Amino acid sequence: MNRILTVARMQFVNKYTFVWMPLIILVTTLVLSIIIFAMIPYGGAKYGGGSQAPIWYFFGLGIMSLSYTFPFSQALSITRREFFLGTMLAALATAVMLGVVFGVGGTIERATGGWGLNGYFFSLDWLWTAGPLGAGVFFAVVAMLLFVAGFWGATIYRRFGAIGLTIALSLVALAFVAVIWIVARLDAWVAVGEWLAGLGVMGLTCTLVLVTIALGVGSFLTLRRAIP
Amino acid sequence: MTVVEVTDLVKRYKDTAALDGVSLSLQENVIYGLLGRNGAGKTTLMSMLTAQNFPTSGGVRVFGENPYENARVLGRICFVRESQRYPDDARPSHAFRMASMFFPNWSQELADRLVADFRLPMKTRIKKLSRGQLSAVGVIIGLASRAELTFFDEPYLGLDAVARQIFYDRLLADYTEHPRTVVLSSHLIDEVADLIERVIVIDRGRILLDDETDAVRGRAATIVGDVDAVAAFTAGREVIHRESLGRVTSATVLGELDAADRAHLAASGLEVGSVSLQQLIVRLTQHEFEPVTEGARR
Repeated sequence: MNRILTVARMQFVNKYTFVWMPLIILVTTLVLSIIIFAMIPYGGAKYGGGSQAPIWYFFGLGIMSLSYTFPFSQALSITRREFFLGTMLAALATAVMLGVVFGVGGTIERATGGWGLNGYFFSLDWLWTAGPLGAGVFFAVVAMLLFVAGFWGATIYRRFGAIGLTIALSLVALAFVAVIWIVARLDAWVAVGEWLAGLGVMGLTCTLVLVTIALGVGSFLTLRRAIP
Repeated sequence: MTVVEVTDLVKRYKDTAALDGVSLSLQENVIYGLLGRNGAGKTTLMSMLTAQNFPTSGGVRVFGENPYENARVLGRICFVRESQRYPDDARPSHAFRMASMFFPNWSQELADRLVADFRLPMKTRIKKLSRGQLSAVGVIIGLASRAELTFFDEPYLGLDAVARQIFYDRLLADYTEHPRTVVLSSHLIDEVADLIERVIVIDRGRILLDDETDAVRGRAATIVGDVDAVAAFTAGREVIHRESLGRVTSATVLGELDAADRAHLAASGLEVGSVSLQQLIVRLTQHEFEPVTEGARR
């Protein structure tokens, strides 16, 4: 346990990757979004998608954590299990930090009437139905999901090479197409839409947590036999 | 105490065997030289001992246990590869701080002194360092870790002669104060000859030689003199190399020379020269003959 925490702390030794970079992306997109809100000559509520940017960074972060830090962790005689759990812990800490920023940012946004510009960066209407805490948790979970997806992809690349990764991505795409085909075949689009709407923010968040855990288990099993 | 015990280790990649039935044991507080040509299997062997890679078959015990996913064992080992990758955007200072968190015997004082010795720029990103500076980062981690079992994987790449000498001197000095088991993989054999206590020669995935350095040195001699006299002496002996210039022949023979041999040589007017470790190993790995020395069976 102790060594797992040490791995998590190790990921923060160079604060640039896990702390400053996501914050820089967040602040930059926020400032840009506010400037753009101010430039739009429209009085109604304006919504920007810029808040996605720092969350997508987690995908790259997942890739980097594996392809650069995993080989070094092996030189430091860290077991694969310690590396996996510690790195996930570090990513979770960063995702929670981001979630807090989103919750607080959204609250400020609402209180100031969209930065006085009626422009909304954090608190998208649908999300805000779950309140600042729910929205924060949702953002943190999506960030974790992308982190784990990037991490697993990089692990597959490390273990099975470019061909292995291509095959894996093709299988994922095939699975998506199969799902779409089945839904279309059963003429169930309405039912699926109703199910998604019925889930609400918290339901969707829980579903994504399950997907994240499933991807995490897959990553761990792939990493167990990976060579640095 | 036995630190490492390897039995019949095999690592196969598709149709080639990187390791082909390696058995050896490493003892506590000895400096080993793991010598061999590029692609002989040095790095593969070290990767197996540190559970960074997996054997196809055979057994590896380190400190009496299987090292795979075993924090108790791995915590006592340090192995920085020759082609080690570091976290993106990390500076040497980050790498050393990370290392200090995991090696219980880490000496920051030694690390700081080595940074000064190697003139390593601490503020430059590792990916921007020169080859020699990159090697220095690995050497510093290996030395300052003071791990009970430390591997150095061709640590000299890109280091100039002065820096290499600093490494050898510091290794010996720190080893004297803090004895540990060191495995030094190298093909600059004569440079490390005075440092290593035991020689392990690996070639094409097999252990060719595993013996005390001094015993290996005495294992061959060069006989120089008249063609016919040399031929008479070497008859029935294993000659691993022969050079002739006019009537003068120089032959390198395997096997220790006893008193009778020396008397014979003196009587025939032949001169005896010693063979450097490097020469001997080069001859052994040239495949001009198939040597089955007793060392290979140990």
